[in-house]
Amino acid sequence: MSIRQTAIGGIVLLLFIGLSPGSLFAQEQQQPAAESSGMTCGDCHEQAKDFVANPHARGHVESGTVPRTVCESCHGDGTAHMEAGGDTSLIKVPRGFDGAENTCASCHGKTTERRSHRMGAHANQPAVNCLSCHAIHKPAQTLHLVARPEPALCASCHGTQASSFRNKPYTHRLGGSSMGCTSCHDPHARPGRENVRTTASGETVCLNCHGEKRGPYVFQHGGLAAAENDCATCHDPHGSANPNQLRRATVAQVCLECHSPLTSETLGSQPPSFHNLRLPRYQNCTTCHVAVHGSNRSPQLLK
Amino acid sequence: MRMKNNFTWLALAITVLLSTTAFAQVTTEIEAGYRFTSVSGNEDLYRTQIDEREGFVIRSFSVFTPQSTGLTDFLRVDATDIGAGPSSSVRVDTGREGAYRLRVGWRSMDAFSALPAYANPLLGQGIIPGQHTWDRDRTMFDVDLELLPSAKITPFIGYSQFRNEGPGTTTYTLGGDDYLLRQNLDEKETELRIGTGFNLGPVYGSVTQGWRNLESDEVLSLARAGNNGSTPVLGTNPDASQIIRSSSLDADTPFTSIFINGDVLKNTKLIGSFQRFSSEADGSDDEVANGNFVSFALGRFFTGFNESVDSRAKNQTWRGSARVESTLLSKLDVMAGYRTEHRELTGSALINTLFLDSITFGGVDKRNLEEILEADSSIDRDVDVLEAALSMRNLGPFAFRVSASVADYDITVDPDLEEIVVPGNQSGDFSRRVNTIDANASYSKSLFTIGASARLDDANRAVLRTDYTTRDRYRVRASFHTPNNMVRLGFTGEETNVENDLDGGGFNADGRSWTIDAEAAPVDVLRVRASYSILDSESRARIRRPETFVVETWTNDEDGEVLEGGIALLLAPVSLDLNLSRYENEGTLPFSVDRWRMRTVYDFKTHYGVSAEWARDRYEEEPAYGQFDADRYGIFFRYRR
Repeated sequence: MSIRQTAIGGIVLLLFIGLSPGSLFAQEQQQPAAESSGMTCGDCHEQAKDFVANPHARGHVESGTVPRTVCESCHGDGTAHMEAGGDTSLIKVPRGFDGAENTCASCHGKTTERRSHRMGAHANQPAVNCLSCHAIHKPAQTLHLVARPEPALCASCHGTQASSFRNKPYTHRLGGSSMGCTSCHDPHARPGRENVRTTASGETVCLNCHGEKRGPYVFQHGGLAAAENDCATCHDPHGSANPNQLRRATVAQVCLECHSPLTSETLGSQPPSFHNLRLPRYQNCTTCHVAVHGSNRSPQLLK
Repeated sequence: MRMKNNFTWLALAITVLLSTTAFAQVTTEIEAGYRFTSVSGNEDLYRTQIDEREGFVIRSFSVFTPQSTGLTDFLRVDATDIGAGPSSSVRVDTGREGAYRLRVGWRSMDAFSALPAYANPLLGQGIIPGQHTWDRDRTMFDVDLELLPSAKITPFIGYSQFRNEGPGTTTYTLGGDDYLLRQNLDEKETELRIGTGFNLGPVYGSVTQGWRNLESDEVLSLARAGNNGSTPVLGTNPDASQIIRSSSLDADTPFTSIFINGDVLKNTKLIGSFQRFSSEADGSDDEVANGNFVSFALGRFFTGFNESVDSRAKNQTWRGSARVESTLLSKLDVMAGYRTEHRELTGSALINTLFLDSITFGGVDKRNLEEILEADSSIDRDVDVLEAALSMRNLGPFAFRVSASVADYDITVDPDLEEIVVPGNQSGDFSRRVNTIDANASYSKSLFTIGASARLDDANRAVLRTDYTTRDRYRVRASFHTPNNMVRLGFTGEETNVENDLDGGGFNADGRSWTIDAEAAPVDVLRVRASYSILDSESRARIRRPETFVVETWTNDEDGEVLEGGIALLLAPVSLDLNLSRYENEGTLPFSVDRWRMRTVYDFKTHYGVSAEWARDRYEEEPAYGQFDADRYGIFFRYRR
């Protein structure tokens, strides 16, 4: 069975089962609130003491102690739990979809022009939700409280992209904190192109680090300016088997796939006939056409 | 220079460490040491791909204090891989509740490239690397200050700086030959952002006004005088004795960005955004060349030329979007949106060239010849996207989302006549409509999670030949873990089929990749990991050979197979982490990459320890132009408090 058949079959099957009567209108359960008392959570819970370094405690730490109100903002009033000697049934423990939806999203559910709490690629759902990626009490790193550092965190679902980054010879260097998956992708944004970050002025994310390629140029590389995928028309940002992270193994192939118009319907010039592809010089277009990203001085992008 | 930087960073780290001792509560971590390297084979390609160099390295550095002072509520400083590179970063985060939040980031990357075979026409003569190389530093610096005087208004100011500088080599085609040039590049881009966020209950958003400036200076000079391998043209052997070009560019880009969200009804959000920028780039070039040159365009020989160029290019872009999101039932969300974008690129250049001592091919009419070119070009691009989506995120263990969109692209390309070499296909109006349907579903119940998604794009026309007329993407995921997470299994499969079948376009590209991975922790102190991936792609395009006009099909394949395995052992105070992988590609560029990684840590005291690392990368390709075998050994001192 191919991936295509499996994907289509899987969607239909899950839709059929999921829409069966009873699923759509099932009620969510609400945790009751409890009364407060004077004890602190750190009296019993070691992790409450560790919470001093947690961003959720920021600005609330008093003499090195995390006040109870910090814990209660997610776990609800802990008085009954404390008075019952730590009865776990009397304290709210946010987990899974409900925990993410009713606890995390109550503060972090803001919608922006690209992010969507409800329609995002990773919007809360049983399979993936806030607590799939974020470990509030024992994060792998304090920044964003992620359960594992990037790119290992993303690799748990996006295995092929992670494998490509780890193993292909020409890739962006991920790891450390200089670059990660979230340098280019916003995990809370909507799917598709919306999931790729932009510059502050709304351009393709590549220009955040490769600003010198931005132009504008007097002599644009037409395809670059007009293309749907911008830089990704020629380059593969997730790593490539080809130098310069190009999508093709030879320079001539990168160029001639567009610069070989077989009809008048597409944009892209035909190289003149003196470009004899039997000669090495003409197999390597960038020997002469060095300014492939655009030029202010040469109409044929020669300098 | 690099050694000096290393000591600077070490001094800075020690200063930060000592200064934080003033805080009663402070968490500190530092791991610093020395990395040794041993590279055999093509060191240029090692640097192109990996570039971990010998020297002092602060592998990680972290200081955090939650202690409130009069100025801050917390302070965090994180740094990674400072020193011998190739990528380093420092991040500072501090703030005070109700007053401000300050974030400062610095990143540096070594950008090196010297490819032996790619884009190298001299490879057949045994000359490697190719003529296009660079050895540059890319540094990025960001500082963002957010003021928090109230929950309703949060003004902010930000500044970013990007710098790309260093030497390189490139080529230049002039007067019948190609010449190798030395290049020195210094590019600096700055960006200032000022704005405010606002939160008025049901209405919140932000307004940003920014100004960006790019200054670029490039100096090129002839690397090797004389003839560079070309054959005599009409009895004259082209050669160059001097080529010098200096270019400068100054580009200003003011931009505006507005976003607003309104909770218009209890369960309905209206989100709007607007962005606009207007970029204006002024460039100037001066070039001098001397030697013996030939020009078929002029029909003359000449002994040199002086050229000056003044250019101005503009990019005016705006985009606006509006969408409404609503929760109709407790488990049903719907969204409808519209986005429109307009981009207008215009350029003009005045190119003044004086050809010195030119004579006709017949050897007469000797004179200096001036050529003045006034060029104007423009590209307009309009995009309109209408979309709608429906999401059911919590049907018990199930979740679904489906969306549909229609995107209209209108592109008008009007190049200068000088850009057109062969008439046709370089200008005109192009309209393209893309219809997209995207659906995905998932199921998650205790131990199992499965998900599937499909995205189908259908276009009525291709603007570029590699644009699709149909593109199908499918993705399947599944995972399983035992109740105590002793064993975890995962599978990801993806397939993409791209095709342009219009008018004999003859372009298609298929990609299929899947990964299966397993992790097991049979006992607390041991974790093993293994994965197997297939990374395949194939593209076929019909190409018209320029010299014969014969149409033939070219293919490009990647036929990759990856095997990875790892083991982690934690026997406090000693830990060991070992990972091995092999990637073998039997496609158009066959090669294999073997990677070994080992790291062991011994914490001999509560706060002190040592770690040792060994990394090995072996790259082999066929034919063998750039093979290398690189070992790195590191010994690091660790301190944690």
